[in-house]
Amino acid sequence: MEKKKTMVQDIDRTIYDIKDAVHPAYQVGQGLTPEIVNEISAAKNDPEWMRLFRLKSLRTYNRLPMPTWGPPLDGLNMDEIVTYIRPNTPMRGNWAQVPEDIKNTFVRLGIPEAERKSLAGVGAQYDSEVVYHNVREEVRRQGVIYTDMESALRDPVYGPMVKKHFMKLVPPEDHKFVALHGAVWSGGSFVYVPPHVHVKIPLQSYFRLNAPGAGQFEHTLIIVSEGSSVHFIEGCSAPKYNVANLHAGCVELYVGKNAHLRYSTIENWSKNMYNLNTKRALVEEGGTIEWVSGSFGSHVSYLYPMSILKGEHSRMEFTGITFAGKGQSLDTGAKVVHAAPHTYSSINTKSISKDGGNCVYRSSVEILPQAYGCKSAVNCESLMLDDRSRSDTIPVMDIRNDDVDVGHEAKIGRISDDAVFYLMSRGISEEDAKAMIVTGFAEPIAKELPVEYAVEMNNLIKLEMEGAIG
Amino acid sequence: MDLNFQHTNVLPARTWNRLGINDTALAEELPPAAPYTGPGPAGELPEGVAAFSGPLPAGEPETGMGHEEADFVAEHRNCGVSLKVAAGVHAKTPVFLTYRVDENSPFVVDENAVVAEEGSDVTVVVSYLGGARRGFHAGLTRLYAAKGASVRLIQVQLLGDGCLGMDNIGAAAGEGGTIHVIQAELGGRKALAGCKARLEGLRSRLSLDAIYFGDRSRSIDINYVAQHVGRKTRSDIRVSGALLDESEKTFRGTIDFVRGAKQAVGKESEFNLLFSPKVRNRTAPLILCAEEDVDGQHAASTGKIDENRLFYLMTRGLSELEAKKLIIKAQFRPVTDQIPDEKLRNAVAEYVEKRLNRL
Repeated sequence: MEKKKTMVQDIDRTIYDIKDAVHPAYQVGQGLTPEIVNEISAAKNDPEWMRLFRLKSLRTYNRLPMPTWGPPLDGLNMDEIVTYIRPNTPMRGNWAQVPEDIKNTFVRLGIPEAERKSLAGVGAQYDSEVVYHNVREEVRRQGVIYTDMESALRDPVYGPMVKKHFMKLVPPEDHKFVALHGAVWSGGSFVYVPPHVHVKIPLQSYFRLNAPGAGQFEHTLIIVSEGSSVHFIEGCSAPKYNVANLHAGCVELYVGKNAHLRYSTIENWSKNMYNLNTKRALVEEGGTIEWVSGSFGSHVSYLYPMSILKGEHSRMEFTGITFAGKGQSLDTGAKVVHAAPHTYSSINTKSISKDGGNCVYRSSVEILPQAYGCKSAVNCESLMLDDRSRSDTIPVMDIRNDDVDVGHEAKIGRISDDAVFYLMSRGISEEDAKAMIVTGFAEPIAKELPVEYAVEMNNLIKLEMEGAIG
Repeated sequence: MDLNFQHTNVLPARTWNRLGINDTALAEELPPAAPYTGPGPAGELPEGVAAFSGPLPAGEPETGMGHEEADFVAEHRNCGVSLKVAAGVHAKTPVFLTYRVDENSPFVVDENAVVAEEGSDVTVVVSYLGGARRGFHAGLTRLYAAKGASVRLIQVQLLGDGCLGMDNIGAAAGEGGTIHVIQAELGGRKALAGCKARLEGLRSRLSLDAIYFGDRSRSIDINYVAQHVGRKTRSDIRVSGALLDESEKTFRGTIDFVRGAKQAVGKESEFNLLFSPKVRNRTAPLILCAEEDVDGQHAASTGKIDENRLFYLMTRGLSELEAKKLIIKAQFRPVTDQIPDEKLRNAVAEYVEKRLNRL
């Protein structure tokens, strides 16, 4: 008898795929030239140092080669990408003032509702510019700054802070697409948490790319001062088009002494998106960076948040889930550099590949000679749901002293027949047993996601049972 | 003579270039090429095992170190032997091959093959010995296990501190065939080793046990690949070793499940003990998977000797040095115990013991 397959549904993209009519206030032409970069800089009223920085980054971009190790980027033609599209509205602090179509997009995504219920502040970016930014009064009174990058850049107090930190942690020389970011970046959020301030409810920035053939290059800069804590959530989505879109954002996180930053991302880009994002955290003595990352969308992703544990006893925890379906190559993972003694890192990831999707788990754990007494534990598990898909695990460990405790475990496979049999022997139907196993596989990660996203993720990988997986 | 390899021990899937682990480049000045004058096969070959000089079976398997080394050996070989085990023969005694890299013969390039015909089995022990000041050994060994056959290769490299050693293996197994490789990379200034096994036949298997030992400024560079092609194939790769002084080790270990390798199982484990703040240990354990119905696992652990174990042994009256030596020797025992020759086993034990006195 032919074995029936359990269907694991694709992510329901209806709400993400609604397109708004494109009527920007202003946009540059396709491609990448010094003239276009100058045009963006002028349109954004950059300080002169930023204009020069952009032009230098463009030269770096032209000099650097394409990556030779990840999923193919053949479908990405930079000459066809529009790097700057300004929406038809200035930034507002009140949803009522945001143009109806843009507001409706964010309403469908549940952003204003989440803001009312469970967030301390919200930023919403539409194409190249932030259209809404607001922070609760009590958080503002604590001295927390949460605003768009452009406002911070021009602010007399925070402008110098931006200049001091901007692309210092992730220099444009790092790789081709971060050099591109340096040249054409626009939008993003700036967060400053003063010393010894605990922001009890999360801040959230949502990035929406609406225009076809466009790029989004937002820059997020977060400075968490000594003894402070904050949870920052980043969400992103776009409707699907037949042309390639590009996301090359950059996130720089400075975690101060004994500070704590949790950075959660739910990435749900459309399947024509090249998501080539760069994220990095620098963690001082006793500080903690926690990354929670869900990668569901995009055609191709290169995403490996990096943590540099600079201060003694600093910590990094990474929890990630990747779900690749038809037409997707999601190359995700994490990097950590232990640069100080007694630092700790833990990486926990799960990936699910189905319907021809490719998942790659890629990581590096580096322990430098001076970083004695360090501990690192990596655990990655991959689930294959059919034999048209792929799942590769490519971790590297580089250890340069002997006083370490480094462990690595990786597993790959299908749903275990024994586990199904066991559950069935306890009176659970085969279908329910399998649903339980897949949900259980993702559960350790799902429980780390913000509640509304955890529910969404469970819906995303909802099982439609019909016979057996396998 | 100059040796110039651009890409050897290539990682089957590339990763970030800055980590320097995608492959290894090698530029060395070698001793002049000269005929090999040292020993070769020792004693008579067991019944049913014969040397041959004809072509190897079709479908030459790829090797762990890659074609640069294999091409070099093909061009410069000055010793080596191809052995055939007749169908159904169970060789009663192992075949012993010794290659000596010394002042009389500092350039040793050996090309070997073991072809086990259907239902046969054989054990071949190859040792690389000698302490030439500037010695060079490049080996290429091809292993073929036909249907139901078993080839067991034991390679022991105990070269002196002035030598560059390379041990490159390519293996293929037919239905129910078994390739068992035991590799001890213990000596040399620089040691490179690679093994790639293509598990083609139903239920074919690879068992690979390796130990390495780094001291002084030795660098060890290893690339193992188990390629699962057939259904119900099985691989077990177990690597363990110790690094002292300023030694370095790079280990790449890949389990590659090709689409169609249903119900294949691949397991890989690595255990590294570090004894000096100046060592460098790099590891890239890959699992590549294009088949749903498989079970792949990897586990690695790297660090100092467990203090509880050390403390326990010291409460039993051992000094710290004795306790450490005991732990390392115990770690090597599952591999060294498989050497079927007492003299070679003792040579390995003495070599390790002597080197550990410097702990």
